[in-house]
Amino acid sequence: MNNNHIVGVFDDEDTLMEAVNEVKKNGFEIGEIYTPYPVHEAIEAMGKKSRFTLAAFIYGFLGAAGVLAFMYYTAVIDWPVNYGGKPTNAFPSFIVVTIVITILTVTLASLFTFSVRAQIYPGKAYILPDARSTDDKFVMIFDKALSGSKTGELEGILKEKGAVEVYEKELKPQK
Amino acid sequence: MYKTEVRGPLILGDKNYRQISSDIIAPIDQPIPTWWKAVFGISMLATLFGIYAMYKTVSEGIGTWGVNNSVGWGWEIINFVWWIGIGHAGTAFSIFLLILRQKWRTSINRAAEAMTVVAVGAAAIFPALHMGRVWLAFFIFPYPNTRGPLWVNFNSPLFWDFIAISAYLLISASFWYYGMVPDFATIRDKTTSKIKKAVYGFFAFGWTGSSREWLRYEALSYVLGGIAAVLVVSVHSIVSTDFAVSVIPGWHTTVFPPYFVVGAIFSGFAMVMTLMIIIRKIYKFQDYVTDSHLNAIAKILIFISLIMGTAYATEIFIAWYSGSQYEMFTFFKNRITGDYTFQFWAMVVCNAFIPQLFWFKKVRQNLTLAFIISLFINLGMWYERFNILITSLSKDYLPSSWTTYSPTWVEVGVYIGTLGIFVSGVLLFFKYIPMIAISEVKSILKVTSINKNDKKHISHE
Repeated sequence: MNNNHIVGVFDDEDTLMEAVNEVKKNGFEIGEIYTPYPVHEAIEAMGKKSRFTLAAFIYGFLGAAGVLAFMYYTAVIDWPVNYGGKPTNAFPSFIVVTIVITILTVTLASLFTFSVRAQIYPGKAYILPDARSTDDKFVMIFDKALSGSKTGELEGILKEKGAVEVYEKELKPQK
Repeated sequence: MYKTEVRGPLILGDKNYRQISSDIIAPIDQPIPTWWKAVFGISMLATLFGIYAMYKTVSEGIGTWGVNNSVGWGWEIINFVWWIGIGHAGTAFSIFLLILRQKWRTSINRAAEAMTVVAVGAAAIFPALHMGRVWLAFFIFPYPNTRGPLWVNFNSPLFWDFIAISAYLLISASFWYYGMVPDFATIRDKTTSKIKKAVYGFFAFGWTGSSREWLRYEALSYVLGGIAAVLVVSVHSIVSTDFAVSVIPGWHTTVFPPYFVVGAIFSGFAMVMTLMIIIRKIYKFQDYVTDSHLNAIAKILIFISLIMGTAYATEIFIAWYSGSQYEMFTFFKNRITGDYTFQFWAMVVCNAFIPQLFWFKKVRQNLTLAFIISLFINLGMWYERFNILITSLSKDYLPSSWTTYSPTWVEVGVYIGTLGIFVSGVLLFFKYIPMIAISEVKSILKVTSINKNDKKHISHE
């Protein structure tokens, strides 16, 4: 069996964060951090940023423009109907539908984006180093190839910083 | 333990993370209790009766209902508005309190959202049946058709309503579902049963709780929260325009949108209270849904009740101030006095007076009383819709078209059916879905130093 990853298991977020800061200071690259709930410091430590809000704004803008254009096309160009002499381009009463459809567009498109970017979809083969991390453990993994000869040092740091368990494991996607 | 100076600890009993998961998952692993089977059986019978009533409606037509030319909207629209109102709690709870960073929502939002989805689903049945020829319901979609193409009337509140309700159902269901994904993963990884592992594993969509996932998950929940907050206000505003845009006395008023929105949140919160008292009693969740949670809901109910009272008074004042004899007649001769006196005063007493009992701490702490009051509020909200619809429609401008209205068994049957759908939906939720958002409750467990302004924990605020 090829134990290609080092797994550090922690009991709470404070010890996890101490260990995260320490290993980063020593120049190790963290593979991934698994937590039972969102730990903002851990997310920041991984150095990733989300541009979700920008995407949502673009969806909303396109949704609003699209639905307004659609209503204008149907009610003014394609089949104008005379409702008691009111103007066919009844902009104020188009706004209600525009708002609701914009919200719907943003929601559905954001959910789709989430699925794609976070890789959360039905039937996904997922990699979960330690199954307790969705319950009560905070887990940090390292690629053994990256730490190279300093594996021992890394395991030492993890233990010193309060890891309840440190072990090596081959990570395979599971269904 | 997360402590605020106002509310005290939000989780009692010195829990650790593992206990939280086990406590909340426990009902899913236990065998189905007898009371559950009994209540589910009864609600299934009610559902079947409702389906029979719907069959009657569809096969024989709207003539099976008590509605007539003057009172064109009867129990169906009353119940539609009532259910939509109840369905407002989920979004109001999770989204307003999410945006306002109110941590006490974490124990309640899951149940409130579940209730929303079931209630809005039940509500949607009524306008569909009211179309008469429900098999042509797809005509309301603005799609390129062979009738011209003749498009729908985008200026009609009834079309807005269709859009609002379908969007609301879709959005609240997906918001609810995505909130459950991490909890499904917890069940997947904790359960010993192979079947449960496979089923919950499928619904968990391969969730692992990596930082990559949490980053997007949080971003998603704030985007959805922010955008859906508009929806809480817009859905019932749109429902109210179904009435307010017409020229019927008692309906044609600008107070309707806020009045409806507040009323919806009122009945929704009352239903949340009913449900949370039941959940914590049966499933022993007193440590998660604490007295302080229920206290907070009770206080919100007092506040909304005052707004409701103000709205009723405003309506009556404006009826007099407008100088319109029709408005005057509707409010003074057909609501405060007249054929529908009972329904009017039932509404005022249940919504504006009885909830004022929550001013007393003893009442807020007595859960039996709180439970009864929460039921009274929902009864009162039903009477409010009865009042608005039936009094205004039964006696409008022309005395020659005045009439009375009483429902037939078919209309009552459809209503009983939706009650059955609601109860059985909620029971399925009790049994198969974690009733409290596990990962969210965990996130508030350990923020011990929140009051000391410890920099380390600031990001959790």
